[in-house]
Amino acid sequence: MKQILHIFAKDCRHFWPEILISVALVGALVWIYPSTWLSKSGLYAVAGGAFLPGMLEAGVLAALLTVLVPVSWWLLIARVIHAESLVGDRQFWVTRPYEWKKLLGAKALFLVAFLYLPLLIGQCLLLFRAGFPPLPFVPGLLFNLLLITAVIVLPLLAITTVTATFARLTVTLLAGLVCFIGYVVISLYLSDNASIPYRDHVSLPLAFCFCAVVVVLQYASRRVWVSRLVLGALPLLLVLTGMTLSESTEMGRDYPRAGAGQEGPVRLALLRDTPHPATAYLDRAKQVQVSIPLQVSGVAEGYALVSGPVRVTVDAANGSQWTSPWQALNNQQYLPGTSESWITFQMSRAFFDQTRSTPVTLHFTVALTRVQAGNVRSIPLPTQDFSVPDFGICSPQADVFHSRFFGIACRFALHQPNLTYIRARWMDSPCSASQPGLDTGVQGDAWMGSLESSPADFGIAPVWSPSIALSNGTKMEGNQPESRYLCPGTPVTFTQYNLVGRTQYDFTIPDFRFPSYQPIRGSFNGSMGFDITAQ
Amino acid sequence: MSDMIRTENLSKRFRSTSALNEATLAVPEGAIYALVGANGAGKTTLIKLLMNIFHPTSGRARVMGIECRHLAGKDFQRIGYVSENQDMPDWMTVEAMLDYLRPFYPQWDGALEQQLVRQFDLPLKRKLKHLSRGMRMKAAFASSLAYRPKLIVLDEPFSGLDPLVRDEIIEGLLDRAPETTIFLSSHDLAEIESFASHVGYLEQGRLLFSEEMSVLSDRFREITITLSAPSPVPWNIPPTWLQVEAGDAVIRFVDSNFQGQATTRQLAEIFPSAGDISIEPIPLRSIFLALAKTGRTALRKTDEGKAEA
Repeated sequence: MKQILHIFAKDCRHFWPEILISVALVGALVWIYPSTWLSKSGLYAVAGGAFLPGMLEAGVLAALLTVLVPVSWWLLIARVIHAESLVGDRQFWVTRPYEWKKLLGAKALFLVAFLYLPLLIGQCLLLFRAGFPPLPFVPGLLFNLLLITAVIVLPLLAITTVTATFARLTVTLLAGLVCFIGYVVISLYLSDNASIPYRDHVSLPLAFCFCAVVVVLQYASRRVWVSRLVLGALPLLLVLTGMTLSESTEMGRDYPRAGAGQEGPVRLALLRDTPHPATAYLDRAKQVQVSIPLQVSGVAEGYALVSGPVRVTVDAANGSQWTSPWQALNNQQYLPGTSESWITFQMSRAFFDQTRSTPVTLHFTVALTRVQAGNVRSIPLPTQDFSVPDFGICSPQADVFHSRFFGIACRFALHQPNLTYIRARWMDSPCSASQPGLDTGVQGDAWMGSLESSPADFGIAPVWSPSIALSNGTKMEGNQPESRYLCPGTPVTFTQYNLVGRTQYDFTIPDFRFPSYQPIRGSFNGSMGFDITAQ
Repeated sequence: MSDMIRTENLSKRFRSTSALNEATLAVPEGAIYALVGANGAGKTTLIKLLMNIFHPTSGRARVMGIECRHLAGKDFQRIGYVSENQDMPDWMTVEAMLDYLRPFYPQWDGALEQQLVRQFDLPLKRKLKHLSRGMRMKAAFASSLAYRPKLIVLDEPFSGLDPLVRDEIIEGLLDRAPETTIFLSSHDLAEIESFASHVGYLEQGRLLFSEEMSVLSDRFREITITLSAPSPVPWNIPPTWLQVEAGDAVIRFVDSNFQGQATTRQLAEIFPSAGDISIEPIPLRSIFLALAKTGRTALRKTDEGKAEA
């Protein structure tokens, strides 16, 4: 321990500027980041979607800080590891009585003291500022640190231990980044970009183990080429793992098929005689995106269904067949009262063109998650922050004069909340002093959260503030969209749903004729990125 | 007396290049062993193998009874290593470096440290990066001698130093000699001749010999034979005669296996008409020059033979 502290003290003396930069950035994050949820709340309300002056900059700065903090770790890790470089044959320390375990311990202590501890304190402060007492969230915070270790710190450490200088580390990281981007681009080009249905349970643990092995191997033996080979084998192994993991096997495991004769949790069929018939868009040069209206029935009271990935087989009249991979284009929720929905999939343009003029039979397999309604909390909309137990802290989104509310903003500690269905009633006219009735106005609803049960989601900042977009928030006045109002006191209902089970559900649409596809054009949408619009 | 260093057929290859080829040597305790050879002969490679900085391709080496592959951590409390091309913690002052290193060595001698600082006239408050090459070497020496190591390993310690600094370092080193074993590499023969007790010679990765200095000096003689008339070099000269030169009735060579009376009788047999035979001891520098030139010629001939084959 004495040697660990001795090396640690030396590193503290040497790297105080790097430490200062890193801690200052975490401090700045704690100071600035609350703007990301304050900008959505009543305190710093926005009107008509326009940010108040200063809030946009603060939001951008907050986003920038969530990048700069890891960048400062990169610098910190590189400097402290390269101080006793493990690569080369001229290092001062290798012929001194350093014990590798103690050297590694000293470096670990340094990272705990100047990377993890400031971040942990910063995250506690952010939780506190967001209105969450930090103590109950400590296990989640520690889990988040574990994720940060696996995703950022350990890979950085591993690469640093096999490079001699900061410049080489940077070049290696950039080369790795270029390879990764290239891999993603090629994958997207070669495969169906909608096909990302199953969760990868392998890559992160595999990367964690490989990086840990490289770090220990380097400190124990300084076998640089062996360590580089191990590290270089990792991306290859990840690619191979991705190729060998069968989609069907993964989906079969996550969504087991119902037993023979068992009735499905929902009935889906083609919705005929609808003003919104099936559509098809030329998505990319070789893909057509098809959306088909569905009739939904049979969802039991007290339950809901979340549709996930979809696989479709198209049987043409001439006997030819096309089967899609699992596609993750659908994220629909079916409630007991739901009668209409859509199913969307991408298919090969060649097969689409081949079968467009003839009737086809569509066999769908939908991955369904069955959830059961749990706690229901109905809260009259206050004018200030309000806490929703087991959900988060919410606040009405007000205009600059606090004269009306046009939405609800919520923030959550460490991860998204459990899957929750939110309902409220919009008013078309300005709010009166009397309590709005349950039957007046137009219902707006939204789904929020997920069924994942991990203690924390990966993130530099521990407060999540996704937008809650209640449906029907605007109405058309002539050709102009106009916002509806949420009145103070209007009941907002939060219904939590708990996982019951997952299954695959099959249904068939016979004698279906594909519509003609529409060519599409791309336009750049300033806030959301690339937007696809039908011509 | 046990060996502080022992290597057996120690070899190191860097891809297709053989940096060290089956070197076998022994350094007895208390010796001052000088490993000499031209630049690129493999001296640094051998030392880095001994210090477990490189890993051998084949063969084995033991330092203080420890297999070199396992040399680590506390073993270095008894070894002082100084190299001309070693990186130093340049951001530290001399004082900070000594302060930093002190706790690593339980046997660190504070008084000796002070003595070395005075002897080398080290500027304690100056950062290592601001020191001259000579001062850096002296600081490295001070930090490697202050804990009274049992073995001092020096890789080209005097390279590029001015004579004054060199003498100061040698003096500091020799002060420690009675209590330690010194293994050093150098291509400057003149400076090691005065204090080395053992010497090894590396030529293109091969250790041509490794023996006590006195034995070596006794073994080598420069022999000049004055003949009564000009005469070609006889065909039957022994292979231990190096750099044989024939001039106007004079034949000169270096005998690498001088054996007193036996050599004199041999000379008389080969040169019956010799008028005068002069036998002189030669300095280490001349020995190595003779060896180096002969070795290169032999290697060249071997290469040519291989090429023809």
